Amino acid sequence: MTGTGGTAPATYSPSPTTHKNKASLFQQDWVRPDGRGFHQCRPAFFRTGAVNAASGSAYAEFGNTKVIVSVFGPRESKKAMMYSDIGRLNCNVSYTTFASPVRGQGSDHKEYTAMLHKALEGAIILESFPKTTVDVFALVLESGGSDLPVVISCASLALADAGIMMYDLVASVSVSCLSKNLVIDPVFEEENSQDGSLMITCMPSRYEITQLTVTGEWSTPKINEGMQLCLDACAKLAKIMRSCLKEAASDSQE
Amino acid sequence: MVGLSLGEQHFIQGGISQDLRCDGRKRLTFRPIHVETGVIPQANGSARVRMGATDVIASVKAELGKPSFLQPNKGKVSIHIDCSSTAEPAFEGRGGDELSSELSNALQSCLLGGKSGEGAGIDLSSLIVIEGKICWDLYIDGLVVSSDGNLLDALGAAIKAALSNTGIPRVQVAVGESSDDQPEVDVSDEEFLQFDTSGIPVIVTLTKVGRHYIVDATSEEESQMSSAISFSVNRQGHICGITKRGGAGMDPSIILDMVSVAKHVSEQLINKLDSEIASAEAEDQE
Repeated sequence: MTGTGGTAPATYSPSPTTHKNKASLFQQDWVRPDGRGFHQCRPAFFRTGAVNAASGSAYAEFGNTKVIVSVFGPRESKKAMMYSDIGRLNCNVSYTTFASPVRGQGSDHKEYTAMLHKALEGAIILESFPKTTVDVFALVLESGGSDLPVVISCASLALADAGIMMYDLVASVSVSCLSKNLVIDPVFEEENSQDGSLMITCMPSRYEITQLTVTGEWSTPKINEGMQLCLDACAKLAKIMRSCLKEAASDSQE
Repeated sequence: MVGLSLGEQHFIQGGISQDLRCDGRKRLTFRPIHVETGVIPQANGSARVRMGATDVIASVKAELGKPSFLQPNKGKVSIHIDCSSTAEPAFEGRGGDELSSELSNALQSCLLGGKSGEGAGIDLSSLIVIEGKICWDLYIDGLVVSSDGNLLDALGAAIKAALSNTGIPRVQVAVGESSDDQPEVDVSDEEFLQFDTSGIPVIVTLTKVGRHYIVDATSEEESQMSSAISFSVNRQGHICGITKRGGAGMDPSIILDMVSVAKHVSEQLINKLDSEIASAEAEDQE
């Protein structure tokens, strides 16, 4: 785009897509951009073994949210760390610069690393790898909404692929509150105009919640409803994750 | 923190299951809360809260700034917590960073609501001076001076007290000028507007030890916890935020039970805090 005589920097960015001024009028009968029902999750795609160099890895794609996670370890803890007779978990979540519509804007998600750590540490049997560290590195390739739940589910699949002992797979789903409606597995637009969000991470076979984050104002019956929705969705997600692992295992046997 | 021997651990756990904690409290009783306001003269608002040996200070500074592009009719609030090394030697340098960012994130999600700004405890639209151009930016800073457990509740209470102590200077806007120039504002040194804090939630942390939950855990009791959930409840009894600490898994029915216990406990806490803040403000004015 040749603009004014060479003074403008040579980058082109498309005009910001749909700068709707928070269409709060439409939220009463909100139609989801991808045509899903309010209580319908996006179709999930998982594949393990995405990164050959890692001990275990997984790739997950939920609509427009694409995440890749690699697991390294158990490997020797840094010499500076104190002796520990249980293993250590080290997590990191980072965004690529092209993950969000505006370049480089994903950097305000520093708390995702701590949340991933909290979600996984309850599920991993740390006693099985004393003195060593397991590293989990997550990279969000494209952020299409509901990023952290996808990262957590993908990370637990990568840990299973790496052979790290766990009590159960960890599945995670979030629910957004748009005025009066509860919308499961929100997309980017829905997340930006949400009134509240509830994210649950659970171990479906044990029916235990490892992590729970709620923002916004919720009344008790709403929390009830949100939790039930999430737990049902997590159970179904866990089945998909299991079948992905079984396929990978049977492929490698051939 | 000094390690606990096996005998001491059993003593704490046994006491909690029999509704008799080490300092004689029942499971759902808070330690006495002392609130002082106006402790930092240069800040727009400040407060110091003591719960037993836990001592935290919160300060609020207001500066003029530009509102965010996505929400031109709301001011901005940023919350930052610092764990001082006077609290624990482990907090020196980078050591306290992890705990500080965990506390900051928890407070931000409890007090600032969802992304659209709904459900925020603080009314951000009262911070606007000229829509789209000038707004007040509130910088809320918390400092942990001494740590004996239950930091999140103490910080939440301190922030609530500091905000009720906050005076936003009155701003005179010069009329006229073309609409795209930066308007002239005259910040008054004398007159102040008090901030409306009736909507600010309180934070109640329920710590699960064995099969029972306790409120306001000391750091010894926290070392025995399996997990802790912090609930932010406002005056209407609505939950404004939930964060879980600790990795152990929990049955969903237990979490729902904790929600009702938190709501019940928060009523007493809100009343207690309000009366403490009112008496602190009254003393401050003398």
